[in-house]
This record gives sequence, C-alpha cells and structure tokens, in this order.
Amino acid sequence: MKFFAFHLMPWDRLPDDFEQNYKTAWTWLPNEIFDPQHGGELYNNYLDQLVLADELGFDGVCVNEHHQNAYGTMPSPNLMASILARQTKNCKIAVVGNAIPFYDPPTRCAEEFAMIDCISGGRLIAGLVVGGGPEYYSFSKNPTFAREMYREAFDLIMRAWTEPGPFEHYGKHWKLKYVNPWPRPIQQPHPPIWIPGAGSRETIQFVAERRFAYMGIPYFHMDFFQRNFDMFRDACEKCDYTADPEQLGWLLPIYTAETDEQAWAEYEPHLWYFVKKLLKGLVVFPPGYTSARSIAGIQKGLQQFMSTCETREDIEAGGYAIVGSPDTVRQKLSERIKKLGVGNLLGLFQLGTLPHDLTCKSMKLFAEKVMPGLREELNATVGG
Amino acid sequence: MKLENKTLNVAGKKTQLTVLGEGPPLLYLHSAGGETEPIAFHKKLAEKHTVYLPAHPGFALSEGLDQIEDIGDLAWHYVDLIQMLELEDVPVVSYSLGSWIASEVKLLRPRLIGPTVMIAAAGLHLEGAPMAELFIDEFDDLRKLLFFDPESQEAKDYFPSDTNDPRILMWLRAREATARVGWNPYLHNPKLKNHLHRLDSPVQLIWGRQDKLIPAAHGEYYAEHLPNARLIELEECGHMVPYEKTQEAAEIALDFLATENA
Repeated sequence: MKFFAFHLMPWDRLPDDFEQNYKTAWTWLPNEIFDPQHGGELYNNYLDQLVLADELGFDGVCVNEHHQNAYGTMPSPNLMASILARQTKNCKIAVVGNAIPFYDPPTRCAEEFAMIDCISGGRLIAGLVVGGGPEYYSFSKNPTFAREMYREAFDLIMRAWTEPGPFEHYGKHWKLKYVNPWPRPIQQPHPPIWIPGAGSRETIQFVAERRFAYMGIPYFHMDFFQRNFDMFRDACEKCDYTADPEQLGWLLPIYTAETDEQAWAEYEPHLWYFVKKLLKGLVVFPPGYTSARSIAGIQKGLQQFMSTCETREDIEAGGYAIVGSPDTVRQKLSERIKKLGVGNLLGLFQLGTLPHDLTCKSMKLFAEKVMPGLREELNATVGG
Repeated sequence: MKLENKTLNVAGKKTQLTVLGEGPPLLYLHSAGGETEPIAFHKKLAEKHTVYLPAHPGFALSEGLDQIEDIGDLAWHYVDLIQMLELEDVPVVSYSLGSWIASEVKLLRPRLIGPTVMIAAAGLHLEGAPMAELFIDEFDDLRKLLFFDPESQEAKDYFPSDTNDPRILMWLRAREATARVGWNPYLHNPKLKNHLHRLDSPVQLIWGRQDKLIPAAHGEYYAEHLPNARLIELEECGHMVPYEKTQEAAEIALDFLATENA
C-alpha cells in the first residue's frame, strides 16, 4: 500500500460574491483576481507542504497540470516537479500528468520527464493525460481531435523513451524529421506510467492492455469509483492477467485532527470553498472531446459528483472526503480501500483556503497516526 | 409540396439530402444549428424552387466527419456534391456556417455557384467585432445569444431545454461537426478576407441588426469588400434570421434570385 500527497495548488482568494457573480472558476475567470505577490507565497507554502510529505514518510507526492483557472494554478507541473526532485530525498514524484496534446511537439514531455527522472535519481512517475475539457477552451485546441492527438502523442513519447534515436515521426498531428531526445530517463525502459480516468471504457481498455496504472478521477461518489475500478479489473482479466492493486489509485480530500468534532470544525468551511467555488465549471464537455453517445452516461455520473453535495451528511454518505480523528480516518479508509481494492491512496490535503499550519498539522497526524497502521494492515490484504 | 429524402454517397461519405418543392434548382447550405429537416423558411423558398437541402458531414444522418479536418475539406465535399447533382451556376441560399462554406466553394470552383444569399455569414475575423462563444453548454445562455427575443415561441421550440431532450444526440453531433471546422481559427478562415475580391458573382447579404453571435459589422464588411454585394439589415432580429424573420428573409432571398436569374 502506497500513500501519496496530491496537490492542485489552488487559488485561495476568490471573491465573496463569486458564487453569485461568476459562472466558473475556469477559462473565463478574470486573471486580475490572481495576485502575483500572494501567488508567490502560496507556491512556496505548497512546495513546503510537499517537501514535508517526503519528510513525513509519504511514498510519493503528486503534482498536476491545469491552465487558466483558480482550481489548480499549476500550468507547468514539470517546473514544480523539478524543484521537488532537488528538495525531496526519498519519495516518488508523480506528475499526474502532462496534458500531452498541448505539448508541441509532445517530445518536449519526453525530454522534461527524463530531466526530472535524472535529477531525482529515478523517482519520477509519468502521468500522461488528455487534458481537461476546460483546457481545450483555454488553449483553443480543437477538442474533436483530442483523443487522436492523445494517442499519437502517447505512442510518440513511448517510442522516444524506448527506441534509439534519431528516428522519424510522420503522424497526423506532428511531423518530425528527427526524434532524438536528450536526456533519457534513468528508469528503464521508461518511468512508470499513470493514467487518470473518469470511467470512459476506452481509457480503461487502453490502460489495462498496456498494464499501466489507472487513477480514479476524484470527487465522485464511492459507488462510481467502485464501478470504474471493477471495470478496470475486468478489463485486465480479459487481457489474461490479474490487476495488481498498485495499478489502481484513488484520489480524495482527507483531513485529520485531534477529534472528529475538531476536524469538522476546522475543515468544513474550507471544504465548501472547494466544492462550491473551485469545482464550479470544472466539468464541461467541449464538442467531440467525448463521443455524443457517452455524454448521456457521463451526465448520469455527474449526479454522483461532489458539487451536488449540500451538507456534511452528503459528503460522508458518498465518501467524497474523509474527515475526522486519526482513528476515524483510519477506520474509514481501511474499510474503503479494501472494498475498492486500490494499492495507491492519493490524499488531497490542501484544497484552497485551508491555512498552511492546519494543512501541515493534518498531514503530520495522518503520517504519524494513520499511515503506519494502515500500511501494516493493508499490506496484508491489498498488497505491498 | 413535393418532398423527397435521399441518401447519397459523396466520395465515400454517406450524405443526407432532402429535396423540397418544384421549379429551378436552389441549393441551401445550413448553419451550425443543423436545420436539416425542412423548416418554414425552406418551405417558402420551395414555393418557387426545387430546394436541395443536404446535411453537412457529421450533421443529421450524414457521415464522413472523419474525412473532414478543416473548412477546405468541407468545401471540397460540396464541390463533389454539386457535381454529383449535375448542377452548375446554381443559386445558393446559405446561413451562417453555410455561408462560409458557400464562399469557400466559390473560390475553389467559381462556376459551380451562382447568385448567393448569405444570411448572418461566418467566415471572417474582424478586429473590434468579435464573434461570441457558440460552444457553451447552457441552453438558456445560447438562446439569449442567438435570438433577439429568447422568450419567443420560436426560441423555445427550436432549442432543446436540457440534455434529456430527445433531440440532444443530433444536437451534440451538430456541435461536434461545427467544432471540427470552426474551433480554431474560430468560425473563420484568416485568408478569406484576401479572397473576397475574387467572389464576384451577385451576393445578397441579410443580417439581423442585433446579431450577438456574428455582429452586423461582419455583414457591413462583406458588403464593402465583395465586388457585387448588397446588404439588408433586419430590425429586432438576432442571429436566427430564418426563424425570427422567416417571411421577410425568404422574400428578400426570392426577390434577389428572381432578379439575378432574369
């Protein structure tokens, strides 16, 4: 069982009238709201939190890529990962991921990931993603080509890591006379690959066939995760092997404090800031990004999305976040991890307005009072 | 009124074609909204013409979007289609996305297309008169964007109100097919401006003065830079001219075609 600290690097100062006067935290949210001075403090706090995760014995830290939004102010996760490659000593550095259709050419991703892998001494986990719906607006990238661009970029990056260069690539979207990236990654034949998914059968099939790891995209009801993870395991069986729990990851907000009551009191306003403000506008489907037929299914799934929650009871019943004393958090996580059969837990410990000291306190409590017991218990059942 | 539904194979692309009415031929090129089933506006035109109403690739039951990568591919599709129908110098009534296609076809094969009615045409980028965002999810916001009176009956009838509407699959297909050629550059061809002087057949432009999607300034630019064009702007009318000003717009189109064909 592996424990990761996942970071979005969210913006914590959305206006009080945000819910009334702004339609979304994405794409069209005026960037005047971003205060660079404060942004600098936030970035440093956030990096400190991830360095702390390494010191506390987390197995890894996760950064990710988003553009032109308040939900995740990390347009270049590779910049953050390269800082972490120097400032952390032991933990894996999972970039989940690079949105590879936006890398022009995608061999930039192969190069930058290889640099991080070299600097960190082979600690990189390479996440390769299609990019979120809103990003196709932010970059004016044609979403009707998203999937085929992703597949082309993906295959190109894999070849760049595994085939001696220089070689030619003449694809539909990129035409490269010389593919010959320097540097090459330490991890051979290539760093471990993580691919996030929200339940699309196509993605599940793709990941299962190649024996990569499938990360459950967060903020859904427990039942939705269960269905997706079961689907993934079935897909692996159809490929004639049994999925390793480490091929599955589950990401969700976690907060630990001394008691259940204290945890909720400290955490709740910040959770709602996240749910009601930062999630606003996250789920959009630009044309062609998902097939017209699958939209209906996804719409159904969205009825089980965290932003539909109105009360603490809704959050707890759906397992959208785990909040409480170390005992409560441990017991709930244990039960659910066993049920879901996942070998990677990706905890979101900071979700916007949560103060730096409370974030660190929660992470420490989690690392000291939750993680060791869970590790021991789950290594026996879910796999080491 | 005579009505015939056909399925053509246009260079490997299955294409839905509706033929409506009687008289000299007229090709109708539809908008991003995908008015591929006969609407009142088509029926008015069909009182005087045999209206050929094809669905663009990816719209309605037409296929072949996988062979379309940009507006040029779409224009070549219409070169093939017009030749297949054995039409030449055919009068065209076109709307929005359809008008952009008409311009592009005319540039590729000037003799295929005759006098052209262009209603609220896409195709240009004008500094100071940006086109609004068409690719949004909220139907209420779209209705406000496209109609002069979003509360009118036409506005309510024409639009799905939510994703449970049975028309939603066709709607999503139309949106995807539009995005394929119109996402970036956004609903225009940066080179088209430099070609306008070559589009020298008669053009009747019709615009809703309150068009919020493609501002009337675009109509004025076309009128100024096309060698043989005139513009009529309609009051109390948004982008949805064929729905909001059915009678008036059809009469302008028919009068123009009658004069130009005389």
